Amino acid sequence: MYGHDSQNRFTRLGTRGTLSSQFQVKEACNVDLLPERLAWYIGGPLIGLLVVALYAVANKHLGITTAYLQVMTFVRSPRNAEMWRVWLFAGIVGGSLIAAFLKGGPSPNLTYGALGNLLPIAVIVPVLFVGGMFMGFGARWGGGCTSGHGISGAAILSRGALVATVTFMATAIGLTLIVHLITGGKL
Amino acid sequence: MNIFVVLIGLAFGFLIVATGLSNYTVIHDMLLLREPDVFLLMGSSFAVAMPLLWILRRRSWKTPMAGELSLNRVPNERKHVYGGALFGVGWATAGTCPGPAIGMVASGSLLGLVVMAGLGSGIILRNLAAGNIFFKSDTAIQPSRSAANP
Repeated sequence: MYGHDSQNRFTRLGTRGTLSSQFQVKEACNVDLLPERLAWYIGGPLIGLLVVALYAVANKHLGITTAYLQVMTFVRSPRNAEMWRVWLFAGIVGGSLIAAFLKGGPSPNLTYGALGNLLPIAVIVPVLFVGGMFMGFGARWGGGCTSGHGISGAAILSRGALVATVTFMATAIGLTLIVHLITGGKL
Repeated sequence: MNIFVVLIGLAFGFLIVATGLSNYTVIHDMLLLREPDVFLLMGSSFAVAMPLLWILRRRSWKTPMAGELSLNRVPNERKHVYGGALFGVGWATAGTCPGPAIGMVASGSLLGLVVMAGLGSGIILRNLAAGNIFFKSDTAIQPSRSAANP
């Protein structure tokens, strides 16, 4: 459906190129409607505006770990769930899928960057599971994750959030650099 | 309310994937201090949101859906350091965090599902540790707060 759209865009944008390069542009547009990465100076301010919008309209704090929590609560006992957090989770799933489709569609894979290249699948699965557990446990203990503390908490100048953000940034950077040294730069 | 929240979620999920935050290599390069993009992204988000929310709060902004704006500021406690440190270990290991893990799975990463399963387990474990078997609201985690700060 959007193939037609992108062809129109191609005719508007591609007037400068040669015929063959125009054809390549057209092909590329049909596959990827989004650039590989939206620049930080666009994405960052927009994320900031989302934090403001959620507070300004609904008086709610944007955080993802609590959304996970409430989705699990909802599965277990729908009456006890804070529904807005469940809807937030659903929205994030939908938005991620839209962006993934615009990037050429989700393609099921078992890759995991440099970590996937270094570790066999039988090792990487437990490593990632435990990594996830550390994040889940730590985020609940500390009252927030990179979104709730790092983005929304910092934006409202919450002291606890700022302390948590500095702590997880420092820990993650320190550990990553140590692992980088130990593995001789492989990771 | 729920429709508005879904729209916010849609935009947030879209931006997570569009900006590459759901990509292991992007986060890993950030934590290796190889490229500043994610720090700049977080910084620019802060630079936009902080002054706006500060002004809204100062003017006692009335939100259309839920009364006067109240910012959910929390005082500094030990749990922020303990929890933050554990979170940092997991973040460095998985190269993704709770929101981007969803984007990772949406982009087709099956191993992202493993991270999400781990996240769910960790959240349940912490709730159990705090004596809150039924995952009610955030306030149910209160006992641990007083235990951490006697």
